[in-house]
Amino acid sequence: MRNTLLVIKQEIANTLGKPSFWITALLLPLMIMGFTIGSQVVVNRMFEEEDDSALLNGAPQSQAIAIGYVDQAGLIQEFPQGFPSQMLQKFESEAMAQAALESGELQRYYIIPADYTATGELLSVEPELKPFTRFGTTDLFSNLLSYNLAIQAQTPALLLEPLPTINERALAPQDDHGLGGYDTFAGFIVPFAVLFIFFFVLTMSGGFMLQSVSREKENRVAEVLLLSLRPRELMLGKIVGLGFVALVQMGIWLGGSLFALERNRALLNLAADAVILPSGFVGWAIAFFLLGFLVYAAMLGAIGALAPTAREGSQFTFIILLPLMLPLWFQSAFIQAPNGALATFFSLFPFSAPMAMITRMVTATVPLWQIVLSLVLLAATAYGLIALAARFFRADTLLSDATLDWKRLRSELLNRKAGA
Amino acid sequence: MKPSVSITHISKSFGQVKAVKDVSFEVFPGEIFGLLGPNGAGKTTAIRVMLDIFRPDGGSVTLFDGKLTEETKHRIGYLPEERGLYKDLKLEPTLIYLATLKGLDEATARQRLESWLKRFELYEHRQKKVQELSKGMQQKAQLIATLLHDPDLIIVDEPFSGLDPVNTRLVKDIIEEQRQAGKAIIMSTHQMHQVEALCNRIVLINNGEAVLYGEVDRIRRQFAGNAVTLSGQGTFTDIPGVLEARQQNGDWHLALEVGVSPQEVLRTLALRDDVKLERFEIAEPSLDDIFVMVVKGGATAGEE
Repeated sequence: MRNTLLVIKQEIANTLGKPSFWITALLLPLMIMGFTIGSQVVVNRMFEEEDDSALLNGAPQSQAIAIGYVDQAGLIQEFPQGFPSQMLQKFESEAMAQAALESGELQRYYIIPADYTATGELLSVEPELKPFTRFGTTDLFSNLLSYNLAIQAQTPALLLEPLPTINERALAPQDDHGLGGYDTFAGFIVPFAVLFIFFFVLTMSGGFMLQSVSREKENRVAEVLLLSLRPRELMLGKIVGLGFVALVQMGIWLGGSLFALERNRALLNLAADAVILPSGFVGWAIAFFLLGFLVYAAMLGAIGALAPTAREGSQFTFIILLPLMLPLWFQSAFIQAPNGALATFFSLFPFSAPMAMITRMVTATVPLWQIVLSLVLLAATAYGLIALAARFFRADTLLSDATLDWKRLRSELLNRKAGA
Repeated sequence: MKPSVSITHISKSFGQVKAVKDVSFEVFPGEIFGLLGPNGAGKTTAIRVMLDIFRPDGGSVTLFDGKLTEETKHRIGYLPEERGLYKDLKLEPTLIYLATLKGLDEATARQRLESWLKRFELYEHRQKKVQELSKGMQQKAQLIATLLHDPDLIIVDEPFSGLDPVNTRLVKDIIEEQRQAGKAIIMSTHQMHQVEALCNRIVLINNGEAVLYGEVDRIRRQFAGNAVTLSGQGTFTDIPGVLEARQQNGDWHLALEVGVSPQEVLRTLALRDDVKLERFEIAEPSLDDIFVMVVKGGATAGEE
């Protein structure tokens, strides 16, 4: 037991003592987050300049928006009720509108051609190219045109939004935790972030196990260690030590993400009292994460014990990590239909459950029996795989330089080779 | 005196390959015991069986008058042939970790390590990564890892590998010191002159079998007459009945095949026109000669 504790301590100190760990743990998420949120901020600010939907609702303006129009078709007869007509300026000719644009009086102007009713084409003239903005007709002008075409207040509104009030009545009521559903930024980004974080931390921490075992084989330390430790003590020490490291990494990533999301509620259009993660999430997340870590650390540790080098072992890594990639590939199914058949299957399938179930839990309310069943299946799988990996942690495998190929792996799995 | 190590008829196979076949020997406190044999003879497997890293197919191993337990393991220091240190870690924490696995508390390990590092002139390098050290330095560091917990049984596999003459002398002195302190030492090496200088007794393993076992002086006497030393002009090679001919300080040293007498070699040389013999004498064979005779020529020890 003392030696197992020493191995745990050594694994933690070794991994946390490496600058590469902290670069990965801190800088990578910061870069990803910075890029994701930064680009959103940039785009949102550009949209804000263009967004005149508030005008349609009669919201007070903090700054005057000057939009001109040249009505060659003679369509604009009147403004709808509450329409901010002061924001629009009519010009008799394109030359006059162009002059106003060049002098900075206008942000843009529209030309309604004489044959507009036949072609439906509208010309929008802006002083510079804005590739991220909505390039076509704005809501404001579209609404004005629709109103004048129909001369009815109801019709243009319906043309703009054919299904204004849908009362959804779900047979299985779901709580979206106040994120606003998948078609909102928050409803998409939070589950996606959880999915992404679980994928990266599980694959990276599993990879630590492979590297740790391979390193001791490659450096020939295994022979020295085996005189002090039983192979299974060594494996147990590594799993527990690296499990702690994985928790630290998860804490940094998940904690950092939550902090960033809390600080950017406005960006996410989240109300101050909206809950980003459901209650009890941390407890469930730790349970699923640790069991998921055990599953993947056991498999990658076994590969490390059998393969002569980390490089040779890494050829099996993709196959082993494949089930973790499935929820990423089908992410839209998780976020749009969290209680659908596909998401439910992946959240019960032990190899994808750690990611899939947690993502579902962020997106919707998952029945408790499914969570418990998933945990039980995951725990049973972890137990079985650790027992299997322990079979590969033998002196003859840890001291062997034999190449690892599918044939040898099959023989080892079928226990055809005599143990030391 | 009870032996520190008693190996009795051990065998170990890997699949169809019989790595060790019916090997027996004993090692006593206060002696340096040579474990010799060509590459792939089964020496390392025998050591691993002795250390319970591999379980034997047959036979038994007794260490310190009993079975190998976790406590007994702490009384053993093992220097494997291939250096086993974490290359990407700093020297000092690596050695402390390995010592604590051997039962030392960290404070004691740190205290002892300082004097060992100073003695091996590694103290200034203690915060360097192992991979930044020269091969010789790594070998000395590995030796510290073997001795730091003050073991009663020391097993060193090629202890002089990568060392310059000064450090070779230092390691020899340390091995001799340990012997004088009553430790049992098993040394496996291909440097026969070191075996002759240090070892009291040896076992020679070939093809997994112990083919020679006993005191070095006795074995050399048993092989007397199987080597000659000569000087003259010409190249004294390709002589029938000679296993190996090598030049040594201007003289030629010939190891003879089993059953070939020095007289037969002398007659052969006398008939050759391409060499001129000036001196010919029967030599007491070195361990090197005996090794070659046994491994290449299949010789066995004769009666004294």
